[in-house]
Amino acid sequence: MKKTPILLFVLLHLILLMACENIFSRNDKTVDSPSDILNGPSKQKVELRFTWWGGEERHNRTLRAIELFEERHPHIKIDPSYGNFEGYFENLTTQFNAGNTPDIIQFGGNLNDYVYRGVVLPLDTFIGNELDITLHDQSMIDAATFDGQFYGVSLGINTWGLLLNKSMFEEAGIPLPHITWTWEDFIEISIQLSDSLEGVYGTEYFDHNGFGIFIDQRGKTLHENGILGITYDDVVDWFQLWSDLREKGGALPADLQVTSTLTPEQSLFVRGKVAMTLIPSNLVEAYSNYSEDEVIFHPHPNNEIGRSGVSLRPSQFLAGNKYTRYPNEVALFLDFIVNDKEAATILGNERGTPVNSEIREFLLTNSSEMEREIFKFIDWVSITSDAPYVPNLPGYNETSALFLRISEEIAFGKKTVEDGAREYWNELEKVLTQYNK
Amino acid sequence: MLQKRKNYLIAYMFLLPWFIGFFGLVVGPMISSLYLSFTQYDLLTAPQWVGAQNYVEMFNDRKFIASVKVTTTFVVIGVPLQLIAALFIAMLLNKGLSGIGFYRTVYYIPSLLGGSVAIALLWKNIFGMNGIFNDFLGIFGIAGRGWVSHPDYAIYTLIALATWQFGSSMVIFLAGLKQIPGELYEAASVDGANPFMKFKAITLPLLSPVILFNLVMVSISSLQVFTSAYIVSEGSGGPANSTLFYTLYLYQKGFSFFEMGYASAMAWLLLIVIALLTAIIFFSSKYWVHYEYGGKS
Repeated sequence: MKKTPILLFVLLHLILLMACENIFSRNDKTVDSPSDILNGPSKQKVELRFTWWGGEERHNRTLRAIELFEERHPHIKIDPSYGNFEGYFENLTTQFNAGNTPDIIQFGGNLNDYVYRGVVLPLDTFIGNELDITLHDQSMIDAATFDGQFYGVSLGINTWGLLLNKSMFEEAGIPLPHITWTWEDFIEISIQLSDSLEGVYGTEYFDHNGFGIFIDQRGKTLHENGILGITYDDVVDWFQLWSDLREKGGALPADLQVTSTLTPEQSLFVRGKVAMTLIPSNLVEAYSNYSEDEVIFHPHPNNEIGRSGVSLRPSQFLAGNKYTRYPNEVALFLDFIVNDKEAATILGNERGTPVNSEIREFLLTNSSEMEREIFKFIDWVSITSDAPYVPNLPGYNETSALFLRISEEIAFGKKTVEDGAREYWNELEKVLTQYNK
Repeated sequence: MLQKRKNYLIAYMFLLPWFIGFFGLVVGPMISSLYLSFTQYDLLTAPQWVGAQNYVEMFNDRKFIASVKVTTTFVVIGVPLQLIAALFIAMLLNKGLSGIGFYRTVYYIPSLLGGSVAIALLWKNIFGMNGIFNDFLGIFGIAGRGWVSHPDYAIYTLIALATWQFGSSMVIFLAGLKQIPGELYEAASVDGANPFMKFKAITLPLLSPVILFNLVMVSISSLQVFTSAYIVSEGSGGPANSTLFYTLYLYQKGFSFFEMGYASAMAWLLLIVIALLTAIIFFSSKYWVHYEYGGKS
């Protein structure tokens, strides 16, 4: 009788242990399979986790590229994890903290935030071995170099421009703008579009990316060496411009604007709510595929003195986790993504125009008309660009959220343009001081 | 005596898995978060001791103050609404209608689904610019607006969502209502009391211990609301901070802005506020909660 509880106890714990066993036995699959033994000295099986964000288009292309990589390197298995941009970096930071970070990571303009905290794999030792960057544009290499160390391959060259809904322009009977148009033209056209089309607004708000261009047009830089290069007046002018445009009906009203998203297939442009939007060149194809109308990628409006302010920028970076068990294989994968012709054919322009000049030429002869248009556009910007590449502010997640929030508060009339601008400027100063410490 | 101790030992051995979970997953993390609340910690590099700086900083942080306002609004308006809705439905279901079991299930379903991501998404679409709520208003010729995307209304759609999840408090109310002896109502009817007087003089006093319980539970969960706000605003707390709940800001600070130390400090402050609020409610209960049989029931 008295033994029963003890027996039960032992049984219960045995069951628990059995459940745990699965966890313990998952690692260390180093046992050679028969085929490996036949093929002589075998390479160790390696499994790499790869994470990125994007829309449907990017997911499909990337998955196909992964398949090709696995065919080329049978001993390496790539385990993908992908989703929307929303929540991506929160998830990543948590994974870093928990020690289960993917080996290969897509970063955006916030690569510096992670390099600064020492969790990104320096790639210098692999250059010339697994990783070849000799044909990469120097400016793109520089963009991923911090304190003399190279941290990531740039997945593409990007430039900002306006996506115009050509069908809507035609329907409204408005001619397409000239390639060297100005803000004044832009404002006028937005209002005309809103007025002549039912349920459509001329443009949506350009947010912090547009603000960056606006600043460049004034020959200023947002920040340099931790010092703000803009004044309070610059911020006021930006918010005032949009506040006026919203009032005149050219820009989307505030409560529609806040439903805007970065995912092409869900965007307000694709859903036919706006006739113009600011997007990076790598997304043109996705937008045009999902849109029912004919679209055209057009240069950004200039300022009064004819400065465009648009520069070539790295779109995203592919980098390694510093704590990966297989740094060499990570470098091998990075090399494949940016330097392999077949991979480039699959990935196309979706993350930006390839940084490898040979691949770029190869794609030019093997691409769709849309892609060729974008290549031409990029070339045109590279010739005409009058603005330097300025890396993002440190604390990117925080500063971009701050800018969006203040934009919304002004749009909804919760703050005056002046109060909003002052708050943005003060908060920005605070963030920069924090990072300069 | 020895026999008794041996039996305890067996009991503790059975409790061991729970103890491991309790200390490993609750007490341990709480202690480490208490430590982290006194540090500057970005999740990626080692924490640095900064003393009470995080706690001091909160009171100069506009977003923090905004988040406190949003959560306070939610609790002050949402909690009474939730309790009234739950009590009202419970009283309806306490009537001897046919097929009552079916209705009870149906009304309970929202609180099973309520906390899920899918429902928050559904809610976002119902109250969106082109959602069915606006279509419904359109029937009456009322031009709707983006209810979840306007800072003046967004929080009320979230309050409505929370109110709709009255199920679990409703079930508890229902059980409480069943406990009230029918004779009391009969006696009151004989004395000529109308339904409102019966409700005021019999239902409310006899139900007050259950109301106390529900009040405490709903208040605590309202202070911690997160999922719906996160989904509806895509984690931004927008539009214009109008749905920036305390917990959402805590999450942003910890996971988006690399300030886990600050986030931990916020979590501890929330714990203290919840404890204080609960203490106040319990203290006040002396004056309004009525225990039959001298408080022993």
